[in-house]
Order: sequence, then C-alpha cells, then structure tokens
Amino acid sequence: MWAQLFEQLINGLVQGGIYALIAVGYTMVYGIIQLINFAHGEIYMFGAYFGLILITVFHIPFWFALPLAMVLCALLGMLIDYVAYRPLRTAPRLSALITAIGISIALQNLARIIWSATPKTYPSDDLPSFFVSGISMTGEVINAIPLPGGGTLPYRDVFILLIAVVLMIILNLLIYYTRIGKAMRACAQNATAANLMGINANRVILATFAIGSALGAVAGVMVGLSENVNPQMGYYKGVAAFAAAVLGGIGSVTGAIVGGLLIGIAEAFGADLHSGYRIAFAYIIMMLVILIRPTGLFGKATSKRA
Amino acid sequence: MRMWCVGLLIIGLIAFSGCQPSDKTTDTATDDTQEADDTQKAQQDLKIAVAAPLTGNAAAFGEMIKKGAELKEKEINEAGGINGRMLKVLFRDDAGKDAEASLVAEGIANDREILAVVGHFNSACTLAGQPIYDAAGIVELSPGSTNVTVCEGSKWTFRNLYRDDFQGKFIAQYIDNVLTDLETVAVFFDNDDYGRGLRNAFVNEVEKTGLTLVASESYERDTTNFKAQLTSIKAKKPDAIFISGLYTEAGLIVKQGREAGVTSQFFGADGIDNAVFLSTAGSLAAEGTYITTPFLFGEDDPKAQEMAANFEKLHNVLPDTWAALTYDAIGMIAEALEKTYNPEAELAENRSAIREHLAVIDTPEEGYMGVTGLTYFDHNGDTVNKPAYVKVVKDGKFAPAEKQLLELK
Repeated sequence: MWAQLFEQLINGLVQGGIYALIAVGYTMVYGIIQLINFAHGEIYMFGAYFGLILITVFHIPFWFALPLAMVLCALLGMLIDYVAYRPLRTAPRLSALITAIGISIALQNLARIIWSATPKTYPSDDLPSFFVSGISMTGEVINAIPLPGGGTLPYRDVFILLIAVVLMIILNLLIYYTRIGKAMRACAQNATAANLMGINANRVILATFAIGSALGAVAGVMVGLSENVNPQMGYYKGVAAFAAAVLGGIGSVTGAIVGGLLIGIAEAFGADLHSGYRIAFAYIIMMLVILIRPTGLFGKATSKRA
Repeated sequence: MRMWCVGLLIIGLIAFSGCQPSDKTTDTATDDTQEADDTQKAQQDLKIAVAAPLTGNAAAFGEMIKKGAELKEKEINEAGGINGRMLKVLFRDDAGKDAEASLVAEGIANDREILAVVGHFNSACTLAGQPIYDAAGIVELSPGSTNVTVCEGSKWTFRNLYRDDFQGKFIAQYIDNVLTDLETVAVFFDNDDYGRGLRNAFVNEVEKTGLTLVASESYERDTTNFKAQLTSIKAKKPDAIFISGLYTEAGLIVKQGREAGVTSQFFGADGIDNAVFLSTAGSLAAEGTYITTPFLFGEDDPKAQEMAANFEKLHNVLPDTWAALTYDAIGMIAEALEKTYNPEAELAENRSAIREHLAVIDTPEEGYMGVTGLTYFDHNGDTVNKPAYVKVVKDGKFAPAEKQLLELK
C-alpha cells in the first residue's frame, strides 16, 4: 500500500516537473504583459519535434540536440511575439488573447501539415543508452533504480526531475540576480515606469518569450523521450500546465512550479483511485484552490510579478 | 509604401490562386467536345471509396489498407477491368475519429459517382458512418471493425472478419488453455467502442474459465502517459495484462509498464497488429508480447504467398493482415460490380444491387474465396466462420506463435 503510494508520488513528481517547465512559460509572459499565451503549448510541441528532427534527420547527438532545440524554440517564441503580439501591445487585451488562440490553432495545423497527425517516437537506438530502461520478464532491471515494493524508477525519469530542478534554480537566479532579471521584474511591476527609466521593454519581453519557450522545449524533448510526439500534444499538456499556472497564481514563477508539481501528483493519485477520472482529479483540486484563494496559491491580489 | 506594395501583392496572389479552379470550369463549360470526353471517361471508370485512418493514431493501419487496395485495383485493371471498365479506388481519410468519419461518410454518400465503400477501419468510425450510409443506400464493407454491434440493425453494413465477442473469448481461452501458468489477469482498455466491446467479451469469458480477473482499468485515446494506471495495476500482481486498444497507446503502455517494473505477460488483440507497436515499445519491452490477428500469411498457402510477393513488388514492404483483408474486400465489391453493374441504371439502383449481391452470399458454397479464406455473411452482414491466430514478438518481430488454438470450447 505505502509502496504503491510512494510510487504514485514519484510518477506524479516526474509528470509535475514537466508541467512546471511548461507552466513557467505561461506565467512569465502573463507576469510581464498580462497576456495568456495560449500558443505556449504549441511552442512546447514544436520543441518536441525540433528535438526529434535534430536527432533522426540531422543525426545530432542528444546532448547537442537538446540545447539546439531550446535555441530554436526560443527563436520561435521571439518570432511569435515579434510578429503577432508586438503590434497589439497597445490594443485591448482581448485582441491579443484572441490572437494567441489563433496562433495556437495555426501552429497546431502547421505541425499537422509538416509532420502529419501520426504520432512519432524518439528512436531508442539514437539516444544515450541509459535512457532505454525497463525490466525484462525474468525480473532483470536495466537502467533503473529499484523501488521498495517491486517498482522501478528509470534513470530517464531521474534525469527529467533533475533537469527540471536545475532549470528552475537557474531561472530563479536569473530573475533575482541578473540585470535582465531585474529589468523583467521592473517591467512586471510597471512597464511604463520601467520604460521611462531607460529599460527597453520590448527587448525584455522578447527575452521573456525566449526563456519561457526554451524551457518549453526542454519539456517537449523530455515528453518525447518517455511518451510520443504528435501535433495535439501541446493542447493536452498545455491545458494541464495552464491549470498549474492558475493554481499556483498566474504571474508567480514559484507558483507555477508548485502548481505543476501539485497537478502532476493529483493526476497520479487520481488515476490510482479511478483510472477514468485521472485528469478530472487535477482540475477538481485546481477549482477548490481557486474557490478558496481566487488569486491562486502564490498570487497576490495586485500581483504583477515575473 | 512598402507595406502597401506587399498588401497589393498578397491580394493579387489570392485573386490569382482563386481564379484557377473557376478557369477550369469555364473551360469545360465552353469546350463542348472536351466535356463530352470527360463525361464519357467518368462513365467508364467504376468508382468505389476506401475510407480509412490515413492519418492519426491508426495511420499505420490506414497505410496498409491503402496499399492493399492499390494492389487489388492494379490487378483488376491489368486483367482488363470490370466488364471492360476500369476500377477507380478513391481514398478518404477519417483520421480514426468518429466525428471525422461522419463527415467523410456524408461526402461519400453525396458523391454521385461512388458505388460502394470499403471501410471504415476503426469500429467507432464504421458505427459513425453507418446511419449515413444506410440513409443513402450504399454498402459499407469493413475490413477491420470488430466491435460486436457494427453490423447490427443495418442492411448496408458488412465485414469480412470476426467479431470481438469471438476475439475476446478466444484470447481468454488461449491464456487459460495454452499459456497455462498464467492464472490472474488484468485488463487495460481504450475507452472507445472497440476497446470497451473487446474488454467486455474478454471479461465474460474469463469468468467462465479458471482465470481470475484482478484489475480492469481504462484510458482515453490520445493519452500518452500511463504510469499511474500501470502502477495501480502492478499492485494487483496480475500474471497477464490484456491491452484492449490500438498500437500507438499499447506500444507506450508496454514500454512504460516495463519501465515501471511490470513483469506480467502482455497480451494484445488485432488493434496492436502493426510494426509501429514494436518501434513504439522498443525491442526490449515488446519482446514476448502475444497478440491475436484475423490472418497469417501461411508458408504453405500459395494464394497468400503469391499476393504477398506481388504486394512486395509494388510497395517494397510486406503486406499485413489489414492489407490482405482490404484486398479481399475490394475483390468482393469488384465481383459484385461485375455481376450487377448496369450502365443504364440510376446510381441508387446500382448501389443497391451491390447490397443485394452481398446479402445472398450466406453459405460456404456461395462464399467469396480470397487470400484470407472464405468470406460469407450471416443475416447481420457479419463473418462468423473465420478463425483467429496468435502471434508473438520474437527477436523484435511478430512471428506466428508455436501453439495455435483453432477450435474454441
């Protein structure tokens, strides 16, 4: 019983780490320009495809493909901001929101045209060998840590958790201890005032998109490794990550991380109770939190933090 | 100024691309001789539709279905066509989704040239198309849907393979009688018409045999992470896990299951019968998985071997079960057209003549002998005589299992 719950906790943490990586992208953009960037789920999806293409078509080793996919996604995120959102900076917020939905649909269909709707998997032959794990029918555990109660934790999942933690630490350092981070916080507090102080708000916004999108790319590649890559993947994980951002208090980076982990764990325990309502449990938790604290766990009533 | 130029250019492009199709129609409308040529040609070709999941989660099946249909089309036409007319197969993509399937069915039913439909593949799609084809009076011959209710209550729906009540029963008996050291079983099923129906048939039979059902969990199509459900199934310690679903999800289930430390024997049904299952699961995890299938290309079956050789010559890959079943389904429709098609008759009469022809094929003597064996229908339009076979993943490939079970109790 306890062993099973412990395993579910780990399942939830791994899934939650991925949600957190995506949720940070939603929350950072919202913190700075009060826009819910619905296209972020699609950026994550493109990240998964970029990784796949780099590995399978260009035969780039995984350790180079991952940062390259981050760079490509950062460029994509910046391009979207430059083309779609920047012209609407002074327009009513609703216009930008509808544009975001439009970009999301356009990108999803673009992926469908380029790569077709057929799910693809990362070929295990082209990956570092420790990503291929499992238990043979004779009970031999390969590339995984045995857990009490007979379960195993693949090295790959450990890697996902580690990379999520490391990136979150780097992100926090970046926001609180660098010039660009300071500029971001300034823009989040008051964009006009920041502009008057000589901060180039547009450049800061571009940087925000780049960082959020690069983290999305990492999540995409990680999901590609353990699951598969398809044009709808951005929608499913994107909605869950958005829920995580709202649960944590949209605009708050810490909130997004905690929210992501909570949604992941709620899903795992939900599935344990009743597999058909796996995702429902996550949303029930989100709704309860929002009912009690409308601004989310870490959101403030006047929150505009990055 | 520059923006203005770009805008003008875009408008020009749109106008230009918009013009092309309308140009064509004015051409044919004004050029009388060409119009006559075109209609004559259209009369010559006999058109049937193949509706299949050419994209989406079951696209690998759709690809094989398409290739099987293309081979039969080519063979028929090279042998002189159907009473001197060429057979033309039109492919329609339902993406394996019931909502898409309804749209595709509407399109086919309203197409004044399509005489019959081979399809759909997914049970949910065949069921979604059924009322539309019924209303239009057009035959829907499925080479892949196994849900029990697919043909019930419809004059126009047929299939040339077994039903899930048979398949589910077969799998339970195979585990009970052949894989005798397996005693406890769990089911992990796709929550759609195919997955649920097959699960129900399996569970019914499990209760009658000596097996014990310890868990039954569901998942939604398009799910890609199954760790949580697998952990809870694993805690019940089943000897075998029966996956009632399609290869995309099944591949991930087997992979993630082995990663989570599941040591149970995996068993799947014909929805997993595709090489993509192996590449998704990875060779380590897939090894030893058993599946059922409606057809094996037997070494000692000259007809099947000949078809396989021709298929490989045309497509450079080996055919699978679905290619063979589609090949036979096209053959049956072609035979019906050969015997019933009347160029003078209305579309509705020709469509219904195909149905009348198929409906009387109800005894082994009248059956259609294709590569997948003899096909004949019961009063619903179901094929009930065809056996199921078992394949096992061996050295990273599907191979016929050592022990088959040809007689059910």
